[in-house]
Amino acid sequence: MAYSELIKNFDKIRGYMRQFFVFGFKGRSDFRSKSQRSYDNERRRLESWLKDYMAFYQDASGKKAFISAASREIPHNPFYEAFKAKSFTAGDITFHFIILDMLSGGNKMTVNEIISVFYDEYFSHADIKSLPDESTIRKKLREYVKLGLLLQNRRGREAEYSISPDIICLEQWRNAIEFYSETAPLGVIGSYLCDRFAACGINVSGAFRFKHHYFLHALDMQVMHDILSAMRDKKATEIFFVNSHGNMKRHVVLPVKIYISSQTGRQYLLAWHYVMGKPHFYRIDYIRNVKAGNKEKKYEKYLAWHENFSKALWGVSFYDDCHTEHIEMTVKAGQGEEYIIQRLEREKRNGKVEKIAEGEYKYSADVYDSLEMLPWIRTFIGRIISLKCSNAMLKQRFNDDIRLVAGFYPELDAEEKETAEPENAAKNPERQQDK
Amino acid sequence: MIFSEIYGKYYQAVAEMLRLASENRLTEKKLYEISGKAFSESVLSIPAAIQQKKWPLLGPGLSSILRNKPFMPLSLLEKRWLKSLIADKRIRLFMPEDKKFFSKISKELEGIEPLFAPDDFVYFDRYSDGDDYSDENYARNFRLVLAAIRERRKIEISFTGARGKTHNWTIIPLKMEYSPKDDKFRIAADSVREQIYINMGRISSVSLLDRYPQADIHVPLPGKEKLVLELVDERKSLERAMLLFSYLKKETRKAADGKYIINLFYDNDDAAEILIRILSFGPMLKVLSPASFKGLLLARIKKQRQLIAKGEVF
Repeated sequence: MAYSELIKNFDKIRGYMRQFFVFGFKGRSDFRSKSQRSYDNERRRLESWLKDYMAFYQDASGKKAFISAASREIPHNPFYEAFKAKSFTAGDITFHFIILDMLSGGNKMTVNEIISVFYDEYFSHADIKSLPDESTIRKKLREYVKLGLLLQNRRGREAEYSISPDIICLEQWRNAIEFYSETAPLGVIGSYLCDRFAACGINVSGAFRFKHHYFLHALDMQVMHDILSAMRDKKATEIFFVNSHGNMKRHVVLPVKIYISSQTGRQYLLAWHYVMGKPHFYRIDYIRNVKAGNKEKKYEKYLAWHENFSKALWGVSFYDDCHTEHIEMTVKAGQGEEYIIQRLEREKRNGKVEKIAEGEYKYSADVYDSLEMLPWIRTFIGRIISLKCSNAMLKQRFNDDIRLVAGFYPELDAEEKETAEPENAAKNPERQQDK
Repeated sequence: MIFSEIYGKYYQAVAEMLRLASENRLTEKKLYEISGKAFSESVLSIPAAIQQKKWPLLGPGLSSILRNKPFMPLSLLEKRWLKSLIADKRIRLFMPEDKKFFSKISKELEGIEPLFAPDDFVYFDRYSDGDDYSDENYARNFRLVLAAIRERRKIEISFTGARGKTHNWTIIPLKMEYSPKDDKFRIAADSVREQIYINMGRISSVSLLDRYPQADIHVPLPGKEKLVLELVDERKSLERAMLLFSYLKKETRKAADGKYIINLFYDNDDAAEILIRILSFGPMLKVLSPASFKGLLLARIKKQRQLIAKGEVF
């Protein structure tokens, strides 16, 4: 099949975009599970869509293509382009423009009238092979009703079609659309609306700029849409996902909440797993397909369960028995270092912060998995004067980390040796004083 | 279905062509120009499909076969998305202060089911001291700043500085910057003194002043620093780091022994934040350069080793 920059299926390109953007060091030979031709085509498509953000380098193992973009410098998520590259047939595009034209101005027409006008008025003298046939027109009419572009009513025994009424003045939404197209869930829909402004010559990329903005979330928007749809309808759902061993799995779950990390770029679905009878977090970027099933009659019961369950979550980890671990971290924050206390207060997700001595502040909490807190605890390195946890592994891991990190930098030991010698000569007076 | 051709670049390009054709302004040159606005290789397919009547929408002399200018009503998906926004705590910042206006747009979307609600989501690591969007004064100031950006006006602001002192400055607001992590807005602005950022939450009043000339005002972006890191791929740290830093410009190369070299380009006003993020990786990330950044990291490690050596509780 000849190459086209348009695509029929989003799933395939979703995987490639992720590889090119997140990792960016993989070359043609690293995509062994795909055909080389497929790699070449997908790379060419990405270059066509994202020409301003693609970069390349050459090393001993070949040419590496990657997507590099700083979110703060780009007003619109470049990955939305992929959603605007859906392939279509000649019949699709012809039907689209003709049907909306035919029904404009409040016209109401039956299927037979539409078919007659389509062939007899728009294409009466044309010898065109690519026109949609009658059954395609009927199918497309039903599709456009579903999309909300057309309304279907009855005229006698026949279905009658008209343009869906639209009293929304988009101009009044301009600021909101510009902002939320980058920040709200399913923002790509906002991007479609931005395109409508652009078509009228209105600039919608002037006012905002975004920091800590994860473009990658765009790639999961179809999956997110399907999950949210199931949640709205309170439906049990089949999800098909790739597990940590790279195998495709199918679980039947009840989607309860979407957990979003604004610091790591990850998004999760928290769902109740019916067979296992317990909650489970699923990485949304690992979910390949979502199929809504039957309505869950006791959906509210699960929401109430979540209310209680979420209190001891630090992130997305917990043990099967949901036992909690107690943690206490004391940091020093002297005069002029009030920002440390502010950090503790604003970054803690549960627990409390209290002043225990002049310049010493203790954070304490009960969480399901204290080890999950380790990355956050490490951000206070240089200030931690006490770390206690009912899970001994936490402190062990922290101490090991410090030792390992220090091992990276030999200059640290050399420097400390230099400064330590005079202290040693005086038998470490600072330490004695402390005692 | 989000992924649909009706929102696609090709449909948009053809709509633009038909619009021009309906005014007898479509030329072959324009046909190519418009196609080029879709994707970079679209000029190879769109003009041919139109001219060879594969898509039979143009008549003789590049005229439109449509009776009207092309248009597309809002789709249900678009309406449902707009309806979802109404429940967001920040929506009033983007709408006029008039409360009747809010009920007007709600009425326009009456009967439309939202796609999502705010409580479908848990932003579990978002900072808790975000801006207070319910504050009327904050919302009023926000709208004025946004209007000033759109209308290219100077503004006079009164704000409380980091040390608690009140300042009155005249600035040129250029961008409203939002961080989902901080849940805060700040103004990127040009002032007489320098290019500055001011947190919206610190501003107590805003007055609109005159329009400034159309001179090319440089939108401030902090200078870039390059950080070279070595990553050891353990405990999924490669994926974690690549994802975490994916909002920054970066280049990663595979080195020997399961290690990776990452060149990370960050804004120089974010050094403290980047340092914290690197610390969070513990022994999985090593700073190779620059020496100044490495010095900051070593100082923190050194301090921590001293605290451990004191042996009070460790």
